[in-house]
Amino acid sequence: MFKNYFKIAIAVLKRRKFFTFISLFGISFTLTILMVSTAFMDKVLSPDYPDYKRERSLYITGIEIRNSKEGWMNSSNLSMYFLNHYVSTLKNVQKMGISSSAKPSNAYVNNKKLVIEYKYTNADYWNVLEYKFLEGKPFSQKEIDNAELIAVISKQTKEAYFGDEKSVVGKYISADNINYRVIGVVENVSKTLQNLSGDMYLPYTIAKENHNNTDVMGSYNAVLLAKSTADVPKMKMEFDQMMKKVPIPKDFDKIYCNADPFFTTVTRRLGGNSTDGAVTKVVSLVTGFVLLFLLLPTINLVNINITRIMERSSEIGVRKAFGASSKTLVYQFIVENMILTLLGGFIGLILSLLIIYLINGANLVSNMHLSMNFTVLFYSLLACLFFGLISGVYPAWRMSKLNVVKALKA
Amino acid sequence: MFKHLFKLIWNKRKQNFLFLSEILISFLVTFAVFSYLTYYYQNYSRPLGFDYNRVWSITYDNGQLPKNQDSLSTFYDNLNKSLKAMPQIEATAFSSNNYPYSDSFMSTGLTQNGKKFNYVSNFIVGADYQKVWQVKLLEGRWFLPEDVVTKDKGVIINETLKDQMFGKGKATGKFIGDFDDKNKLKVIGVVQDIKSNGDFSPIGNSIFIRLDTGYLKWTGTLLLKVRETADATFESKLYKFMATSTHGAVEIKHVDEMRDSRNEVTIIPMVIFIIIASFLIINVALGLFGVLWYNINKRKGEIGLRRAIGASGNLVSYQLVLESIILATISLIVGCFFAVQFPLLNVYNVPSSVYLIAMLLSVLFIYLLVFACSLYPGKQAAAIHPAIALHEE
Repeated sequence: MFKNYFKIAIAVLKRRKFFTFISLFGISFTLTILMVSTAFMDKVLSPDYPDYKRERSLYITGIEIRNSKEGWMNSSNLSMYFLNHYVSTLKNVQKMGISSSAKPSNAYVNNKKLVIEYKYTNADYWNVLEYKFLEGKPFSQKEIDNAELIAVISKQTKEAYFGDEKSVVGKYISADNINYRVIGVVENVSKTLQNLSGDMYLPYTIAKENHNNTDVMGSYNAVLLAKSTADVPKMKMEFDQMMKKVPIPKDFDKIYCNADPFFTTVTRRLGGNSTDGAVTKVVSLVTGFVLLFLLLPTINLVNINITRIMERSSEIGVRKAFGASSKTLVYQFIVENMILTLLGGFIGLILSLLIIYLINGANLVSNMHLSMNFTVLFYSLLACLFFGLISGVYPAWRMSKLNVVKALKA
Repeated sequence: MFKHLFKLIWNKRKQNFLFLSEILISFLVTFAVFSYLTYYYQNYSRPLGFDYNRVWSITYDNGQLPKNQDSLSTFYDNLNKSLKAMPQIEATAFSSNNYPYSDSFMSTGLTQNGKKFNYVSNFIVGADYQKVWQVKLLEGRWFLPEDVVTKDKGVIINETLKDQMFGKGKATGKFIGDFDDKNKLKVIGVVQDIKSNGDFSPIGNSIFIRLDTGYLKWTGTLLLKVRETADATFESKLYKFMATSTHGAVEIKHVDEMRDSRNEVTIIPMVIFIIIASFLIINVALGLFGVLWYNINKRKGEIGLRRAIGASGNLVSYQLVLESIILATISLIVGCFFAVQFPLLNVYNVPSSVYLIAMLLSVLFIYLLVFACSLYPGKQAAAIHPAIALHEE
């Protein structure tokens, strides 16, 4: 049965090459765009180097204080004091990785300027996040306590600063007029991971800042790691309890700080604020936008499909006259349309691979490497089937309504 | 003639419904694209208002500088002198960190005759700021050293703000109130608008305030106009000098490179948007072409009959093209109803002229598209031989 439908579908596709071209062009182009955007979303949302433990982690990226009467608002990253004094006391936090937001600085090598984004981190940062060390090792608590001038650099920095030297551990890199001893080289991190990417990582004790400051605002972010996935809700609750006890700075009456799962950090940044994680808002907006985008190619495909069905009215008339039910015909047509869509999807896949190759080659976002993995393929297949279904149902319904006598007469 | 065509369209309303909705949605898509493009084109065509060539910005960490105000002043004076002594440097100015292309925004509120102006870009600038950026003065003068001691705080405003506050008249010498109208500021000059956020950014209201000693401890940005002799060797020397003087992190950036990356932020999404939109349009055009072609093939009998009773080929193709145009008009009327809501409700705070131009362009575009797509099928219909067509029947 299915084999027959397939044969018919191929025969129909061969009959009117121009229409086949229009349909395939529309389908493959639409699906290409969907696939490339899925690959991009997958890159941003699914666990990625070096942040593989997202299921077990909560992220703190900022704190906000408000004076609700006057309408003042002040927000920034967190201070080391806040993280060490309050957050580290939580029982459910197994480890806490702390890093400052990346700051750019210059270095000059052979009269060429190099922009180095550096971050200050604590020792557990290297345990929470799984950086891949190409050589050397991370710094430990002891080296942090001694405030040693040491640095872990990224592969990109190594290549730009030292050229093609084989091993650079033990060598010195000069930034901001200070010579740091390189103790490790790590694989590059994609710029899409805003809070983790950097070119040079330094012990936080050598940061030029006042370490006795008891302000809650500063320049650090933290990743909280729970013992297991099941402990994450407990950790979040404990954090929220703790926030109630944090003293509110003078002149202000409200303080907000959130420990979010990874997905919420993204939606909060896109459409939320300190009190609203905006998960539903962002998800519904994105879905709405995708559906709107699909509308035009769908209507176009429906139009073409109807035209093609009317062309086949004699065939349908004959089948109906010999007793085929409307249901069988609808079913047949939807299957045919699915075959067409999957064919378009295949072409789309090839086009997406090409586009992804081009995007990676152009290095649009620094160190971002898009790829076609099984998740992306799965979602793309889902998109194909959905597209095929919605563009096939209406024409099939129109066809099943066709009057036998009229159809045969034409 | 028209009555007859309407009757034909009405008889096939079910088939035409999809055709209509397709044109309607294509219209809305083109309207969105043209609004977007018109908006950016209007911004792009305005003059830039300053010169970004050979301007460098130095951002430095001010945490290690003297805390005492007097010693800080002395420190900055000495720094300024040493920099000006370098032969490669033409002019220097300290600034708040929202200098052009820095992607940072600082705003304040102003009052004038009880009317409040919010979100006025607030540039806090050193004395030689005008020399660094070559900003054009339209009236009045730039800050002078003696402004420090005068009673009223002197400010410079841009042309757009002046037009909103004082209309066509002169602004120099007049007073405006600060955000809560408690202090008065004296306008000492008006400068030409500057597009400080990239070539495609809109022009807003801005005010320039002289950087005084009280603000020095917040400053972290130094702007330089360098001579052509300034090369990479000089840059690394300058960098060493700044890092030793400030004992902190220093970054030197070339403003022309910052401009490119600022513009890229607008251009890349624009290019992606145009590519997607044009593929959608090609898609629709092919679809329309296919549907029209098929419809005409199906109406061979009717067309043959018309030819047989004396209609010329041209008349037949004229009828078919006109039919499609009428169909497009129906969709466009509905589409314009939706589109006109944007300027009426003032969505997104974009000038109405953008929406009106975009509407006009997209109406023209859709007509052209439908006309082009129906031309060939119409021609084909005209070529139908009555004898053959009627023979089939």
